[in-house]
Amino acid sequence: MDCKRWITAAFAFLMALGVSSVSVAGGPTEDIRKTTERIIAIVTDPGLKEADKARERARQIRSAVDERFDWEEMSRRTLARHWKERTQKEKEEFVDLFSKLLERTYLDKVESYSGEKVLYVDEKAEGNYGLVGVKIVTKQETEIQVDYRLRNKGKEWLVYDISVEGVSLVNNYRKQFNSILTRSSFKDLMEKLRSKVEEEG
Amino acid sequence: MGESVRLLISMVFLLNLFATLSFADDVGAGAVDAAPGAALLARETEAHELLRRAYLEDRGVRAEPAVRVASRTGNSEPDSVESDPWKDRLDSMDSIPDPLEPVNRAFFVFNDKMYFWFFKPVGTGYKWVVPELGRICIRNFFTNLIMPIRAISCLLQGKLEGFGIELVRCVVNTTAGFLGFQDVARQALNFEVQDEDLGQVLAYYGIGPGFYLNLPFLGASSLRDTAGWVGELYLNPLDYMVTDFWPNVGFRTFDVLNKTSMRIGEYEALKKAALDPYVAMRDAYYQYRLNQIEK
Repeated sequence: MDCKRWITAAFAFLMALGVSSVSVAGGPTEDIRKTTERIIAIVTDPGLKEADKARERARQIRSAVDERFDWEEMSRRTLARHWKERTQKEKEEFVDLFSKLLERTYLDKVESYSGEKVLYVDEKAEGNYGLVGVKIVTKQETEIQVDYRLRNKGKEWLVYDISVEGVSLVNNYRKQFNSILTRSSFKDLMEKLRSKVEEEG
Repeated sequence: MGESVRLLISMVFLLNLFATLSFADDVGAGAVDAAPGAALLARETEAHELLRRAYLEDRGVRAEPAVRVASRTGNSEPDSVESDPWKDRLDSMDSIPDPLEPVNRAFFVFNDKMYFWFFKPVGTGYKWVVPELGRICIRNFFTNLIMPIRAISCLLQGKLEGFGIELVRCVVNTTAGFLGFQDVARQALNFEVQDEDLGQVLAYYGIGPGFYLNLPFLGASSLRDTAGWVGELYLNPLDYMVTDFWPNVGFRTFDVLNKTSMRIGEYEALKKAALDPYVAMRDAYYQYRLNQIEK
């Protein structure tokens, strides 16, 4: 009898753990889902389809992205050990330019959205850090694995890295920046970044 | 012909082992002296020295988080840049050695021109003529054709389930799928393509990538993966079915053209997003392979 009750209690305890982890786990995935659905809504909005509405569309997408991405954290991680050597002004300018570059790249990608399905397949959360695994299924039935790495800043989860098929955005840019910084200077990097961002507005 | 190819493969294999021992996980241990090719020595010494300094300095930063936490943020979070629970690939300078960088960069420019002058225009025209469904079917045909490569790669890694899946896929798609044009196995049985190749087999047995190679036409690769590609030439049924040189090349070109037509725009996007497309591609290739090997 005792044994049976103990097993029932243990089982109930495990169930409770399972349930509670699901509800805690609502955090990062929920935030990603919110932003993704908002962006999909903007991109598929028939009222914003025309060419003359492009700027308005871009503005809306940018604001949706802005509230989910932690630009400073991303910039810090891409400069890695070079970050601490920079002045406050340089840091601010770098964050500004880098975020513009990423926003523009993201905008280009997202504009070509054509009904791909987004599946939320995985989630991990440890302390202030979260990982959301997403699968994007294209019309040609190819599956693309995308991982979002997030940090909990207050009430919201903010993204600091995206990996597509294992290729991390932060990592990739870190290698590029490091290659430029070891060959020339920070000024040169900023120049390249500036001209890149101004290239296509 | 067979003998010399076999000799080539063994040489590449040995060279790879040699290079892996020299470059493998430590760029800073002064392993430069073991490097093959004295002509490359000067170049790579400089690159290694820079990487080594960066690596060691980075370690130095990580070694003193206490001081920095006290002076910077008020909370108790560690200040080192890569301090999340899933460290796996966020190691600072974990990348593929690239002693042949000047040559690789030259081929990068060559491939770039080939893409914009030939593959993209022809691919775009082809795309205009052949509807998407047709191109998907053609892709399925070629995918089905090289089943032996994937099957044997699965087997050699001990992935018996994958091996079985590939065999079943081939039989089902070749019969019910009209020689592979239709991916019936995926639609009806939910058997996915097992993304394995000989390069991954070599990685499974502990062979490191060696160093980065950017090959003309073939693009980003590594010493190990190129050795794998050469090995795959023996496993490709196409080479046993179409033995004359030019028809064989014709088939392969058609396959590449078909695949390219479905991927127009990706390379441009990479160039647009990157400050240094060469480094972007090299690193993306390295990370992508690591991910594939792990899966």
